[in-house]
Amino acid sequence: MAALNGWWDDYFWGALVIFQVFFCSLGFMIIFGLLGAIAKLSSNKIAQKIANAYTVAFRGTPEILVILLMYFGAAIFLTSAAQLFNPEVKFVDLPPFWAGTIAISLIVGSYATETFRGAFLGVNPGSIEAAKALGMSDIQTFVYIRIPEMWRIALPPFGNHMLSLIKDTALISIIGLNETMFVAKQAITVTGKPFTMYIVVGAIYLGFSTVVTLSVMGLEKFGERTTAGAK
Amino acid sequence: MIIDFTLIAESLPVMLKGIGITFQLLIISGFLGLILAIFLLLMRISGKWYLSFPAQIYIYVFRGTPILVQIFIIYYGLPQFGFIRNSILWPILREPMGCAIVALSLNTGAYVSEILRGGVLAVGKGLIEAGSALGMSAYQKFVYITAPIATRIALPAYSNDVISLLKSTALASTITIADMTGIGRTIVANTYAPYEIFISLAIVYLIFTFILQKLFGYIEHYLGRYTRREG
Amino acid sequence: MSEQPKKNLIQMKNVDKYFGDFQALKNINLEVQRKERIVICGPSGSGKSTLIRCLNRLEKHNTGQVFIDGNELTDQIKDINSVRREVGMVFQSFNLFPHMTVVKNLMVAQQLVRKISKADAKQSAMHFLERVKIPEQANKYPIQLSGGQQQRVAIARALCMKPKIMLFDEPTSALDPEMINEVLEVMVDLATDGMTMICVTHEMGFARSVADRIIFMDLGEIVEESKPSEFFDNPKNERTKNFLQQILTH
Repeated sequence: MAALNGWWDDYFWGALVIFQVFFCSLGFMIIFGLLGAIAKLSSNKIAQKIANAYTVAFRGTPEILVILLMYFGAAIFLTSAAQLFNPEVKFVDLPPFWAGTIAISLIVGSYATETFRGAFLGVNPGSIEAAKALGMSDIQTFVYIRIPEMWRIALPPFGNHMLSLIKDTALISIIGLNETMFVAKQAITVTGKPFTMYIVVGAIYLGFSTVVTLSVMGLEKFGERTTAGAK
Repeated sequence: MIIDFTLIAESLPVMLKGIGITFQLLIISGFLGLILAIFLLLMRISGKWYLSFPAQIYIYVFRGTPILVQIFIIYYGLPQFGFIRNSILWPILREPMGCAIVALSLNTGAYVSEILRGGVLAVGKGLIEAGSALGMSAYQKFVYITAPIATRIALPAYSNDVISLLKSTALASTITIADMTGIGRTIVANTYAPYEIFISLAIVYLIFTFILQKLFGYIEHYLGRYTRREG
Repeated sequence: MSEQPKKNLIQMKNVDKYFGDFQALKNINLEVQRKERIVICGPSGSGKSTLIRCLNRLEKHNTGQVFIDGNELTDQIKDINSVRREVGMVFQSFNLFPHMTVVKNLMVAQQLVRKISKADAKQSAMHFLERVKIPEQANKYPIQLSGGQQQRVAIARALCMKPKIMLFDEPTSALDPEMINEVLEVMVDLATDGMTMICVTHEMGFARSVADRIIFMDLGEIVEESKPSEFFDNPKNERTKNFLQQILTH
């Protein structure tokens, strides 16, 4: 246990990186998910096909492969692009933070597409009809009726998507992101205690998972305050 | 950018050599994980706190931490302990394949037990009461009523988990295993051609996923024959 | 009169039942003899279902005593299933096992609980399917049958166990009106053959023609208990009168 002394602050900064990745990828994931869902629900056949290809590709490919492809692929692309302007450039890469964040956002976003799609379809059509009968515009109906109800339905699976984002962050260490797995690797070369170091990593991730799970439970309770009374 | 098709043509057969390993990881871990899941399920629904509580903790820890961390703890971490190195499990835990299978089984066991539990909870309460009213014992009710119906209900979610397991097998490449991804990464390191290699590799996984989905589709159809009026 | 519980097939003495703070049954006292046909009626939430579910211990009573054929139902009872074998129950939502064919539904408990051989169980199953007039449905799955047919199968399933008592928990409430009669006919047949039965129902026509006694429950209590002629023509209690007015005029 004493081996951990001196490493706590490194772990702290590593945990902070997890935090940052989470918030950035959360935003992208929601965007990708909503775009995908809207594309799938639209009447535009091309949009549907693209969205379908998106979900099939990213739900069937191992996450690590997507991350590796995003990182090395972007590096090759950026390096050749930079070399067009300045032949001296040896290597340009997309920082692991961004390569990884975008990769996991795309992956979890493909699951979120299905979740949002199902949630939009699950909105009570009667509510929409009532809104129209009252004279609300399409946009008003969308914002005030559809979206809130959709979120209430999507929340439990969405919570799982958030947990996936957190856990997939560990994979980004493979391309060099300096989060907790990375810290552990360094600590092991110095202390020779791989079990201890990786257990701490596990505990940190478990901590994040717990916070997300509790928050989602809290949000679910909040969302139910209007429906729970109906017995 | 030009796509180097000859590279793909040369590399695919090499990567496919790893399909045997991928397959082994999937089948063995899937099978062991299922057995573990059934044990955990029985513990969870036993009603006895000293069985249910440990099961809940196990599931919480294994679903709340990244699978990569779990793999690393088992492969890199356990050798830290003398009693592991001297135990009868050492021949298994010394080998990367052994560690990968152990880690994947422990992980999928946690997820699948929750899926099975969802199936069990979804069995209509009235059906169990009918069994009670007829005088069936708890064991008889579980075997003849709950289990068959829960299996059918849980199958879609279970098939999703099997596909997740397939994707997780790619992580074995991080502990030196030469599965398809492991071989692919080696090739990319030598050829600097991430697009060709990783995309063709991704397509292989997609085909694998497609086959699994079709397979489960047939099983679902067969199990659901009593839910359709046409019989 | 109630010193010898064995004389009565069913006896409930001072039974209370709580769900948390809510008292579902208040001081229930009931005796049922062999071959008696009892109908229990009352508004929703009056405790009618709870009462009969206490008779096969699908619900556990909190105070008082419940005797089935001389056996007291308690937590210590060695083998609740030996009592349940003798008490058949038909549910409002039929509760047929969806993953088994009709004939298998009728056979499974015979084989598992009464240890009857497969051949004998099948014979018995077909006999009772004929009694409820749908032997041709034997190899179908429940989902392929109409509601009325499913309920008749459910009755046959309970009868296959050769119970001493049959409990019916609102057997026709979940049926479309045109199917209610086919089920009531089976129940009338059963009554004519001498089965001891307790039936929770809103079907007053059935009650008037078949019941030996009608019990009216409200708010967890037995409010009135009398023969059909007295019950319908001369209700004694205000609450009974109100109830009868509500259900008989619409």
